Amino acid sequence: MLKLIQNEWMKLWSKKASWIMAGLLIAILFANAGITKWIGSTSPAPETEWQEMETMNLASAEDQLQNPDIGPAQQDYYEGQAAIAEYRLANDAAPFKTESLQQQLLDGHMMLSLVTLFTVIVGAGIVASEFSQGTIKMLLTRPVKRWKILTSKYITTMLFALLFVILTFGSIALFSWIFFGVGDGAFLVWNGSEVVEGSYWVEALKLSVLSLASTWMIGTFAFMLGTVFRSSSLAIGVSIFLMFVGVQLVFLLQRFEIVKYYLFTHTDLTQFYTGFMPIPDITMAMSLTVLTVYFLVFMVISYWTFSKRDVTA
Amino acid sequence: MSNEKIVEIRKLSKTIGNKQIIKNLNLDLHKGEITGFLGPNGAGKTTTIRMMVGLMKPTSGDILISGKSIRTDFEDSIEKVGVIVENPEMYKFMSGYKNLVHFARMHKGVTKARIDEVIQQVGMQNRIKEKVGSYSLGMRQRLGLAQALLNNPEFLILDEPTNGLDPAGIREFRMYLRKVARENDVAIFVSSHLLSEIELLCDRIAIIQNGELIDIKNVNEHQQSRYYIEAKPSAQAKQVLEEIGFTVQPHENGYLIDTEPEHIPGAIKLLTAAGVDLYVVQPHRTTLEDQFLEMTGGGEIAQAHTK
Repeated sequence: MLKLIQNEWMKLWSKKASWIMAGLLIAILFANAGITKWIGSTSPAPETEWQEMETMNLASAEDQLQNPDIGPAQQDYYEGQAAIAEYRLANDAAPFKTESLQQQLLDGHMMLSLVTLFTVIVGAGIVASEFSQGTIKMLLTRPVKRWKILTSKYITTMLFALLFVILTFGSIALFSWIFFGVGDGAFLVWNGSEVVEGSYWVEALKLSVLSLASTWMIGTFAFMLGTVFRSSSLAIGVSIFLMFVGVQLVFLLQRFEIVKYYLFTHTDLTQFYTGFMPIPDITMAMSLTVLTVYFLVFMVISYWTFSKRDVTA
Repeated sequence: MSNEKIVEIRKLSKTIGNKQIIKNLNLDLHKGEITGFLGPNGAGKTTTIRMMVGLMKPTSGDILISGKSIRTDFEDSIEKVGVIVENPEMYKFMSGYKNLVHFARMHKGVTKARIDEVIQQVGMQNRIKEKVGSYSLGMRQRLGLAQALLNNPEFLILDEPTNGLDPAGIREFRMYLRKVARENDVAIFVSSHLLSEIELLCDRIAIIQNGELIDIKNVNEHQQSRYYIEAKPSAQAKQVLEEIGFTVQPHENGYLIDTEPEHIPGAIKLLTAAGVDLYVVQPHRTTLEDQFLEMTGGGEIAQAHTK
């Protein structure tokens, strides 16, 4: 199996497209850091004092807590936000500025949709391209069972995603260190009963792992489409379309019970820690269950079609 | 030539939709023997071959390679098989060498030394580090042969291997195949619709039509010696020949007689003595093409290099 993955990895990086994607990712992150710096340095008005911001945060969190529609996860979140804001004001503990290495890393998980995009391109093409190049004949007439070949391709896609995540955070760290440097401030967390100092990079790691659920699901979906339809453009098109429209559909389906079983209600796992929940009464356990079921369905369809298919092309 | 069985095709059938493409096919292939697989377009050659290499699943029946079933024991049965299915499509964005490394990793025990050996064997050492995209069709064909030889196959299977090659390329490819069959004592099964090619390359020919195997014959089987005689007046010539005791068949502008060469001078003397003018006396060989057309009843066979 290791040799098969080695093969897939070799093929992947022998293609120019992979290097272009890596270059593009780094370029976008560089531009993002640069633009943030540029806006910061040209904005004429001095920034609002952080105390003022925290007072506003406190007010809005308390406001939210009055809202009867919020779910338990949101309740926890806003209680935590209110407590942290109070603590900051009382103890004169400033948060990180946006223009700091730490805050950039904390927000880094939002950049992972780029990784999703590139993973979709790779996952959609990794099986489909073998068919379109005709190399599938050469690949399947080896003493290796088909499920092993498909597994090596799936693992390679996921390794690619992982590598790009590391690349993303590496670039963010490097570029924000160059542009902003390490900022002052304290990272605070609400542990349910009191406010304590936490580690910002553990938090950044947690949020990015949670964001990866979406990369993983959409990547797997693209992989399935590429395997079933043997057309990478179709698979890329449909996956990217769903990536953008799928989430919007959550709002349209909001009033129906079915929304709770809809994939895109659950793909953003960070929602349990960022307070933004379109469907408030779902839980983490429920989301993980739904995602697992979708994953299994995608996998069964992929493996079934790939190992049953008569290769005629 | 050993007569050891290496491949056994047993009651092989394939149905796609409600059309039966392959009907109850039985065939054995032996070590060191090149078997041609001939049939009109759409007869089921490619389908049979794809089932033999695991690209398609048989509807019923089985294929045993070295005694191992391709259905239940795929990895072991195909371990010692080398395959070229039509034009060998390689990864164009990688070098020839990387392509070979890629396929070598999928077999057990193919070493780096073996890869180099195969490269030597097909004479590609000068350009093996270049991208496959820059190769000519002939070179790709050679690389295709190289990848099929990597695992020291006991059985080589080729589907229309010379599609798209020019006559020089075909000749070169044929020479390589011969060399491989002789040096490595492998069984080779090669499908083609090009009659001349099969005739030049193969020891034995299996003919398929409408999914059924209609004949298996050896190429250099001793043929009944026949002569073609053209003489005038032809009615008189016929009479003389019949008097000698030949069975006379009209053919084109003359007659065919079945006889051994030693009877020919006597027959000529008798014909001349009877006052018949001889125009042509020549041995008559039925070509594979004639036999093939006879057996398949004409049909849409592609003629070799008629252009």
